[in-house]
Amino acid sequence: MLRVAVLVMLGAAMAYGAATSCCSAGDSAIVQKQWKELWQDTESSKYKIGVGRLMLLKLVELNADAKATFSNVDIDHPKGGAFSAHAMRVMNGLDMVINLLSNPKALDSALNHLAEQHRVRDGVTKAHFKSMGTILDGGLSKLVDNYNSMAWKACFRGILTKMASKLSA
Amino acid sequence: MKWLIVLVALVSVSLAEDCDILARLKVKAQWSRAYGAVSGHDRKDFAQALWRAIFSQAPEARSLFKRVGGDNTMSPDFRAHAERVLAGLDIVINLLDQPEALKAELDHLAKQHDARLIPDTYFDVFRTALGHVLPAQLGRCYSRTAWKACYDVIAKGIRG
Repeated sequence: MLRVAVLVMLGAAMAYGAATSCCSAGDSAIVQKQWKELWQDTESSKYKIGVGRLMLLKLVELNADAKATFSNVDIDHPKGGAFSAHAMRVMNGLDMVINLLSNPKALDSALNHLAEQHRVRDGVTKAHFKSMGTILDGGLSKLVDNYNSMAWKACFRGILTKMASKLSA
Repeated sequence: MKWLIVLVALVSVSLAEDCDILARLKVKAQWSRAYGAVSGHDRKDFAQALWRAIFSQAPEARSLFKRVGGDNTMSPDFRAHAERVLAGLDIVINLLDQPEALKAELDHLAKQHDARLIPDTYFDVFRTALGHVLPAQLGRCYSRTAWKACYDVIAKGIRG
């Protein structure tokens, strides 16, 4: 009986933690460490482009209306130069944001800039960012050893919300 | 006398390195050690050193960066800007051996810089700053000629 009560309390505490979605200093440190472990090799750029490409293609697969927003980076040829460079930009945007997690004010400024860059793109919606959150979590859980979903979700919920904050839909 | 001329010619040939595939790989590897392998505070220090070296050579260049807090390189806005610049540089350096994607990224950066009317001399200022900060960061094994040759490819691409 006592065991059940403890479990219920633990569950409630975890749900509460998730609901408040705070990216603590500890969470930031975990995210930064796990992210860094992914890119140890000099040839990380090819790996990075590959991961970025998969993420963006998944986004379009799950959200048909997102495809048009990538037409100017030639999404019809995902292995071509234009889309590869774009995939690298997206990944380096993530890299920048993750590296700034330990500096909230500069992070805010960077996210504000990214929000503005997405606001001016017709057809980008908040739902796309929500979907990207799910894709990131699913993808990283496969790539990262001992992936800490709680820490990543706590940090990325805030990041993606801010990036989508200037969108009307 | 003639052999001296030949010797001088030989030396100058070996000094003027092209941004060939070997130079590109060298630059990529050195960049990865200087920037790619560091994170958080070390990156901040790298960015600070770079921009201080830029503004000490060309104080008037600060006016180009008013919108992003250029008056104070320690401000959050400028910190974010410095990270964006380094992230962009990181992309082009990493793509040095992937010509098609490199071209796409340089075109993208050229578009972003087009309207800002940046004097050519500022690209030299940036190169000089990089040429001081990188060897300091690396400690050793910095290939000045390879960096110069490949930086010129990048700068030319951004200037359009």
